[in-house]
Amino acid sequence: MERLLKEKDVEYIKDLFEKNLKDEVTLTLFLETNGPNVTKFNEQYLPYTEEIVKEVAELSPKIKMNIYRDDPEKEKEYGVKAISALFIEGQKTNKNIVYYGIPSGHEFSSLLEDIIDVSKGETELPIDIKEKVRKITSKVEILVFVTPTCPYCPRAVRTAHQFALENPNIVGAMIEANEFPDWSNQYNVYAVPKVVINEGKAEFEGALPEDAFLQSVYEALGIKLV
Amino acid sequence: MDELFAVHEVKKETLDINEIYDLAIIGGGPAGLTAAIYAGRFRLKSVLFEKVAVGGQIAVSEWVENYPGFPEGISGSDLVNLFKKQAERFGTNIVLTDVRSIEKIDDLFYLETEYGKLRAWTVILATGAEPVKLPVPEEEKFRGRGISYCATCDAAFFKSKTVAVIGGGDTAIHDALTLSKFAEKVIVVHRRKELRATKILQEAAFSNPKITFELEYIPVHVLGDKKVEGLEIENVVTKEHKVLKVDGVFVAIGEKPNSELVKGLVDLDERGFVITNMKMETSVPGLYAVGDVRNTPLRQVVTACGDAAIAAAEADKYIKNL
Repeated sequence: MERLLKEKDVEYIKDLFEKNLKDEVTLTLFLETNGPNVTKFNEQYLPYTEEIVKEVAELSPKIKMNIYRDDPEKEKEYGVKAISALFIEGQKTNKNIVYYGIPSGHEFSSLLEDIIDVSKGETELPIDIKEKVRKITSKVEILVFVTPTCPYCPRAVRTAHQFALENPNIVGAMIEANEFPDWSNQYNVYAVPKVVINEGKAEFEGALPEDAFLQSVYEALGIKLV
Repeated sequence: MDELFAVHEVKKETLDINEIYDLAIIGGGPAGLTAAIYAGRFRLKSVLFEKVAVGGQIAVSEWVENYPGFPEGISGSDLVNLFKKQAERFGTNIVLTDVRSIEKIDDLFYLETEYGKLRAWTVILATGAEPVKLPVPEEEKFRGRGISYCATCDAAFFKSKTVAVIGGGDTAIHDALTLSKFAEKVIVVHRRKELRATKILQEAAFSNPKITFELEYIPVHVLGDKKVEGLEIENVVTKEHKVLKVDGVFVAIGEKPNSELVKGLVDLDERGFVITNMKMETSVPGLYAVGDVRNTPLRQVVTACGDAAIAAAEADKYIKNL
């Protein structure tokens, strides 16, 4: 396959990683499956997803890569819900920062920013938000449906992933809506970003500021604020 | 987008809350970014706040054909990415957060953010405008369930379906053309007999076999159970009603200014746009308004940039005279 990253972008990202990466980051990619519980997917994107992950992994010695193909045990261990699934892993993650489908278009930046955050083991969320997020003890699953052409979507993806990095009880998942039409239909996704928390206990459209996003998480958990 | 894996928005910035900034720019669209480029060249210590995504409304334009310097046109998203790179080259700090309030005490502005209160000698308000909501009772019910305000974001959900576009201006016709690449049929509903869009866009729409028109009609109801299934429209002359069977309704009926932040602080016109003079000065010295949020006669990238250059130069002069 022709290389997906342009030479000038390669240089830019190398430099960015050089300056910002601290600890090792692992990109764990699930590419094939026969698992019964995995959402139906659109195969045409898979070669591109594999290629872009490989190219990104080459840009820093601190980035490692694992690719699993049809590995039911690993799928179970990671809680893989669809293919492709890309987990960004570091010392502080809990298999809880994931991309379902290709991180292309505007989401490519989300991927780069996630790699940096995971490597540093910290986010740039404001202190008060961080503290509130860390206090959550229940399981939270945040699905963020996106399209690659949506400029407002990365903000929602990043917030979900930042929450996940701050708290191992939270799973933050990007879903590329074009790749998973059934999944999108299940939650009536007709506009993006659409955020679905704990299977629809709370949901909203649009990119909300972090504090409002957190309110929705509370709502899904049935927490009432005084 | 031109490039599937181009690098957008990666630079990390943090805010130094103890510092007094020369200039705080609020809004990261073309106007805000241009102000940042000029401020950087004036060596002003500046910060730019953006609450959602750098780029502003133009970032969702599939193709921009009237910004000089790009004879073949350029995607809105690539254009603003170039603006951003240029601003970063001159040292702009871009902070992704919203400004919650502004007050002025003596000569200093205080901007409340989630990181704390930031102080600045001058402020350029470049918060832009946002789409006016569809005036039907079912708007809230169907927003995100078939009613959309971003054709570039959501067109892909309407592959082989029928959609309506409400409006007759540039944005509406752009949207109709974008949607025609996915949808089976696009119906433009406009309240007047003639479209308001630039002639060249009209020509493209009229010659597109997927696009049809319901002129002199206004939307009165969006129909459906859980998602949009139809649109009821009314003829503005005969008052006759009819129902269009559509799966989506894309709305482009004008803009309202994002001026909440300065309400009560500066003078606004009757529609809420910030009143400025030729120098982009508002009724509060040291506070300038540029681009779509001000009472400008033309809302375009090129005019927003012009406003911003003027405001940055004026802010520079103002600071020197403090």
